[in-house]
Amino acid sequence: MSLDRIFAVSGRIIRQIIKDRRSVALIVLAPVLVMTLVGFSLFDERDILNRIIPALLGVFVLFFTFLLTGVSFLRERSQGTLERLKITPVSRADLLVGYLLGFLLFAMLQSVVILAYTVLVLPVSYQGEIWQVFVVLVLLTIVAVSLGILVSTFAKNEFQVVQFIPLVIVPQIFLTGVVVPVEDMPWLLENVSKVLPLTYAVDMLIGIMLEGQGLLDLGVQIIVLSGFGAIFMIGASVTVKK
Amino acid sequence: MTSTPSIQFQNVKFSYGKHEIFQNLSFEVERGQICGILGANGAGKTTAMQLLMGLLKADDGSIIVLGEKLGNHNLHRFGYMPQLNALYQELSVEENLKFFARMYGMKNRRKRTIAVDKALELIELDERRLDSVSSLSGGMRQRVSLGVALVHSPDVLILDEPTVGLDPQLRALFWDHFTSLSNLGITILISSHTMDDANHCHRLMFVQEGKIVADGTPGELRSAVELTEATLEDAFLHFVNVSKESV
Repeated sequence: MSLDRIFAVSGRIIRQIIKDRRSVALIVLAPVLVMTLVGFSLFDERDILNRIIPALLGVFVLFFTFLLTGVSFLRERSQGTLERLKITPVSRADLLVGYLLGFLLFAMLQSVVILAYTVLVLPVSYQGEIWQVFVVLVLLTIVAVSLGILVSTFAKNEFQVVQFIPLVIVPQIFLTGVVVPVEDMPWLLENVSKVLPLTYAVDMLIGIMLEGQGLLDLGVQIIVLSGFGAIFMIGASVTVKK
Repeated sequence: MTSTPSIQFQNVKFSYGKHEIFQNLSFEVERGQICGILGANGAGKTTAMQLLMGLLKADDGSIIVLGEKLGNHNLHRFGYMPQLNALYQELSVEENLKFFARMYGMKNRRKRTIAVDKALELIELDERRLDSVSSLSGGMRQRVSLGVALVHSPDVLILDEPTVGLDPQLRALFWDHFTSLSNLGITILISSHTMDDANHCHRLMFVQEGKIVADGTPGELRSAVELTEATLEDAFLHFVNVSKESV
C-alpha cells in the first residue's frame, strides 16, 4: 500500500464532490429536511422519536454513502478511468482505502449536521458518548462504500444503480428496527434482519444514544458489523481485480 | 550488438470464452519505433493492447516488455491512451495530470509539478490548465488524455486509436508529438483503422481476424501491390483479400 496514492485517491474524490455544489447541498440539507419532518410529525410521541432518530442517522449514512460510492465507481468503470488506473502501479487496497477515506469525510460531515440538528432543534434527549456513535458510523461507512463498489459491478448506468436502492437499502430500513422494533416482527422477518448490517448499526446507535451503553457492552454487534465490512470489502476488492 | 526489443509477443493465444481471438500471435517492436496495428473494427487491435498491458491475461504464450514480464514493478514504464478519453470530467486539466502522476508513483511535489508543466507544454494546453475537462472541446480532451499518458515519462506508449475524431490540423499536431517522442527513444504502439495514421508509422502490421496478414514499412507494403502509385489502402485490401483466399 502507498499512503501517497491513498491520499491522492481520497483527495480526488473529495475534490470531485466539492465541485458538484448541488450534491454537497443535498448531502447536508436532505437529512435535515427529513429529520424536521420526522421530528415534528412525532412531536408528541417522544418514545418513538427517540428511537427513530438514532436509527435514521444510520440509514442516512448507509443510503448516501452507498449511492455516492455506487455512482462514482460506476463512472470510474464506464468512463474508462478504472481501466487507466489498472495499468498504473496503484494497488486494489490503495483504491479501496482511498475511496473509503474520501466518502468517510462526507458521511461524517452529514452525521455531525444530523446530530447537531437533532440535539439542538428537535425535542430528543440522548446520553452516551458521542465518539462512540462515530465509531459505529465509521464501520457503517465501510459497509456502505464496499456495497456501493460491489453494486456498481452489476449496473451498466446510473439509473440501474438507483434501481438497487429498493433491493439493497429499503429492506434494511424496514427490517432493522427503524420503523418497527425488530423484536416485534414476525419470526421469519426477525431472522432476516439478523443478516442485514444495518440491524447491528441501529442496535448500537440506539444502545449508545438511548440507553447510554458503551462499545464494550456492544461487542457482538461490533464484531458482526466489522465482519460484514470485511466480507463486502473483499467482495469489492475482487471486482476491481487488476 | 542488437538491443532487446521493447515489446515481444511470443505465440500468444487468447479467447473470449469459445471465441478465439489470437491463435498464435507473435511479433516484436524495437525501441524508438512507431509501430502501427491496422485492421477493421473487431480485428483484435484493442485486445492485443489490453493483453500487452495486463488488462487481459493470455491463455498461452508470453509477453515480454522491456526485457521482462509485465508486473506492478514495471507498469510505470507504460503510458496508455485509451479509445475513451478516460478523464475525470469535473476536475481541471492540471488536476487530472497531477492525479495520474501520483498514481504512477511521482511522490515528490516539485518533480511532479515540473512533469505536469512539461506535459501541459507538450499538449499545448498551458493556458487552459485550470479549466475543467468537461468545458473543453473533444480535440482538447484528446490532448489531455495524451498528456496523462505521457506525464510520467514512459518508455513505451500505447495509443488506442488516438486520432479518432480529430480535425486534420490537430491530427498533424499529434503526429508531430509522436515523432518527436520516438526520436527521444520512446517506443510507440498505435492502433488505428485510418490510412492517414498508417502513413506516419515506421512499421505497420495489418491485422485480420486476429492474424497478422502483413508486416513491414509503409513503403514495403505499398510496393507489394502490383499497382502503380498504390496507396496503403490498396495494400491493406490486397493483403486482407490474399488472407481470405488462403483460408
